[in-house]
Amino acid sequence: MIRMLFRLENVSYRYPDGTLALDGVSLSFEKGERTALLGPNGCGKTTLLLHLNGILKPTSGKVYFEDKPLEYTSKFLLNLRRRVGFIFQDPNDQLFAPTVRQDVAFGPLNLGQPIDKVKKSVDEALKTVGMSEYADKPPHFLSLGQKKRVALAGVLAMQPEVLVMDEPTSNLDPRASIEILRLLLRLNQEFGLTLILATHDVDMVPLFANKLYIMSKGKIALEGSPEEIFSNTELIRSVNLRSPRITHLFEILRRKNHLPVNKQLPLTIGEARKEILWLLNVKMDKKEKVNSV
Amino acid sequence: MSFSNLCAQIDRCAYTNALAKSNPTTKVFFALLTLILSVSLPSSLVPAIVFLTTTVLLLRFAKIPAHFYLSLLVYPTIIVALSCLIITLFFGYGEPLIEIVLPWFRWTVFKSGVMMGVTTFFRVEGALSCLYFLVLTTSMTDIFITLQRIHIPKILIEMSLLIYRYMFVFMEVAARMYTAQKLRLGYSSWQKRIRSTALIAGNLFIRTLEQGERTFMAMNARGYDGNIRTLDDLPQPRRVSFIGVILFNVILVFVTLLTINL
Repeated sequence: MIRMLFRLENVSYRYPDGTLALDGVSLSFEKGERTALLGPNGCGKTTLLLHLNGILKPTSGKVYFEDKPLEYTSKFLLNLRRRVGFIFQDPNDQLFAPTVRQDVAFGPLNLGQPIDKVKKSVDEALKTVGMSEYADKPPHFLSLGQKKRVALAGVLAMQPEVLVMDEPTSNLDPRASIEILRLLLRLNQEFGLTLILATHDVDMVPLFANKLYIMSKGKIALEGSPEEIFSNTELIRSVNLRSPRITHLFEILRRKNHLPVNKQLPLTIGEARKEILWLLNVKMDKKEKVNSV
Repeated sequence: MSFSNLCAQIDRCAYTNALAKSNPTTKVFFALLTLILSVSLPSSLVPAIVFLTTTVLLLRFAKIPAHFYLSLLVYPTIIVALSCLIITLFFGYGEPLIEIVLPWFRWTVFKSGVMMGVTTFFRVEGALSCLYFLVLTTSMTDIFITLQRIHIPKILIEMSLLIYRYMFVFMEVAARMYTAQKLRLGYSSWQKRIRSTALIAGNLFIRTLEQGERTFMAMNARGYDGNIRTLDDLPQPRRVSFIGVILFNVILVFVTLLTINL
């Protein structure tokens, strides 16, 4: 049975300067799922995420974690933050310690774990993200992709149940982003980590998410599976986003070239490949029929 | 941005030199004790010995490239030499060494002034080489952990830790701003140069405040409670090397006593 992990009820947040960043957001995140929050820059994704571990407190509305409303006491928050790991967009915000090992150890030490256990968690976390050999290096020796992985290790070392990530692949080269994605998927599949991530990388979403929220101007504009949402091209455009490129291609092929594409447009390269092979087969069948007649 | 380059080079050296893995407590202990003796003992022979010893340690044992070490020494040495020359020529009292008497002017160089100039020069160079020994062989992380072990106030260590880390972040930011300004001719005249530099300074200040806020948030997200805890997994220093350091310093004291008696 899928259990509700987070529930936001009519959450609004106004920054001290008066900007209304969240405007009555209600949504829920389920255990073990991979949810993506997709939206253009400045739509409130980061603000929403910061509510999930109590860094921000809603101006109005309520946040529930496992059906209990968040309490903003240090004891409650410490426990919450142990279970909900948060990875910031810019790893420089997160990596403050003089070496990789020290940085990864920061979380476990804050949990008051004994030194031996801390060392073990640090080593394991670094191994998981493939950064063991950089343990004694200072962060400024690392590339951005490496820094992102260390930031991830810093959170994994606290053994969270949920990973909340703000733009995990932004500014990364294609290879580094695909590595991060694979790593995240592995964490979800092997360790059952719930993943919640904010992004504006449309092409990445279908590879990653099985649940999708589209945000626009501090509100949830759309909600559903990637298949459901990306098949509605008009709606996607109305919130200043687009479909994945491959989906877009098939949509044009259907609309302008009247190709008999499946109603459910492919979202990923893999799906597109199947679709193309299927289309070719159809044609070849027809050709063969023509020849035989 | 040659200053940032230099910092990065020293930092890299501290992590990669041949003594990087030897016990930091011993290195800190050696550098500090020797530094204190070298500036406080009333002898110019002691700082000279210290200078030679640390230089040999740096070049032979830590395998620091000689040209890099020399390039670090050159500028401070020039400045110190000039200051000491002034001390030599204009300070002192008692027994005169040289006296120039002209009808309208009388100038005396005293023996004690020369002594003072020479001693100051050696002391500064000795102290300098001790500090270079420390920063070139010991990574900042190791220094922080050692300072923590000898119970330096936590607030100082935490501040240095953050300064050290974000210094490199902001040097990068500053370098980017500088390039951006330069590409738009921000350094094409003297006035523009002043203005552009001021803009970088002002912008950096605001950036540091913003960065502070974001880092604080990120630390909170990992359970920060006002204490930065560090993982002290360094081995305890070997007693032998400690005794070695003490012996070396005892010798320095003896040298002083001998030279003073002469």
